[in-house]
Amino acid sequence: MKLTLHIWRQKDANDKGILETHIADDVSEDMSFLEMLDVLNEDLILQDKEPVTFDHDCREGICGTCSLTINGRPHGHEKATTTCQLHMRKFTDGEEIFIEPFRAKAFPVIKDLVVDRSPFERIMQAGGFISIHTGAAQDANALPISKINAELAMDAAACIGCGACVAACPNGAAMLFVSAKVSQFALLPQGQPERQKRALAMVNKMDAEGFGACTNHYECEASCPKEVSVRFIAKLNREFLGASLFEH
Amino acid sequence: MGLFSYLKSTILSKIVMAGTGVILVLFVFGHMVGNLQILIGREVFNTYAHFLQSLGELLWLVRIFLFICLILHIITAIRLYFLNKSTKPAKYQVKAYVRSTLSSRTMIYGGIAIFLFLVYHLLHFTAGVADSSIYGHVERYGPLGIFERQDAYYMVIAGFRSVPVSLIYIVGVIFLAMHLNHSVQSMFQTLSIAGPRLTPVIVRFSRIFAFIVATGYILMPLTIMLGIVGGGL
Ligand code: HEM
Ligand code: FES
Repeated sequence: MKLTLHIWRQKDANDKGILETHIADDVSEDMSFLEMLDVLNEDLILQDKEPVTFDHDCREGICGTCSLTINGRPHGHEKATTTCQLHMRKFTDGEEIFIEPFRAKAFPVIKDLVVDRSPFERIMQAGGFISIHTGAAQDANALPISKINAELAMDAAACIGCGACVAACPNGAAMLFVSAKVSQFALLPQGQPERQKRALAMVNKMDAEGFGACTNHYECEASCPKEVSVRFIAKLNREFLGASLFEH
Repeated sequence: MGLFSYLKSTILSKIVMAGTGVILVLFVFGHMVGNLQILIGREVFNTYAHFLQSLGELLWLVRIFLFICLILHIITAIRLYFLNKSTKPAKYQVKAYVRSTLSSRTMIYGGIAIFLFLVYHLLHFTAGVADSSIYGHVERYGPLGIFERQDAYYMVIAGFRSVPVSLIYIVGVIFLAMHLNHSVQSMFQTLSIAGPRLTPVIVRFSRIFAFIVATGYILMPLTIMLGIVGGGL
């Protein structure tokens, strides 16, 4: 396949940045999107040019490190797919592809396509944990959990924290991420003791980090590689309101 | 804790948007149903208008309550608009929207249009400033016409006889319907009334509700402008 790539190049957070055009003329359909960029980078290195910087780690869709906004959509147009799991056969020969970083004020560009997503870590540090000692794993049936809650908690816990929700949201809101993290604990018995404290701490941290407010565009759900549902945002609103009223 | 400290919180702001939204939506619907009585005739409509006027202080309490809701709604909307604008300093060169709609992306502009329309509407019918010729007429009713009351029917019919006035109303209502198309379902989601089976129903309800409001409110200026209703005045 032959592709025309328009790739965002930016030296650092203060640089203005620009779209740079590259031709990739020997792309195999079996490559992942990241392998395609690897090959491009090898070419650039051979030509003594600066390779394109992008984030990746597991390359199997579980770590949430890869990013990229491809043709205006975080992780590209494939449903429920991370960039590392997106294959070139999903594109057509001769296509023009625009590759940009995940854009948000809270995610400043470090270089080219790499952005700083540490605000998510700080939100987790504010309350995305359980501080009681839960001991070794106990007998699974000793702690009854309704099937519906167990499944919902699993759906919420599917979030890999990649930040596509923020990148997709016209408001730069992080509600899908925060709602998934708050919900996964709020739905399980282990999460109950710190339930209200957690909702307050994580949401307040989210606000302090400069994320926007949800206006229910639902772009986040459409871009989420793990298909985390916006119903968790509805749940987060309730958790937060309850905590604001009763936890003081 | 000041009255407006909720504005610092994204979620509390959303909840105020939705809470005031509920009141405004209920008002918009009630106002429509009440006013549609103009299609029945002078007697019925003036009785209704007279009833509202006769509420006296209660009417003012309701008006003040609605006004406070509207002001809170607008202040919060403006604050959220600027916050949400600030979170995306660098724009995408290419952006593909998937789930958001024209309605959802133009809430603030639609809201401003509704506000301007609302000011005009209040000056026109409630205060009688925009066109004083239609205001202050009296209807005599009862046996031998011994009773007198405001002829609200005359005011509305004469007001909507003017094609430009009617067009302003029709455009205003279209903006309102666009606002409602997104906001009614958004309000349920914000107030945590959502679920995998419920949400699609609510989204459809939101669309149908916006359509009903548009139809109901457009019917009045349209039929009057065309002389179908109130032909003989
Ligand atoms: C009669 C008039 C109005 C009605 C019935 C109404 C109703 C609503 C409702 C129900 C919502 C949804 C709240 C939510 O998503 O939780 C909403 C949102 C909104 N309204 Fe209004 N509204 C009216 C007037 C206005 C005005 C005058 C403005 C303007 C400045 C405005 C600006 C907005 C904005 C920007 C939103 C989106 C905020 C968000 O989704 O978070 N509205 N409106
Ligand atoms: S690199 Fe780990 S999810 Fe894509």
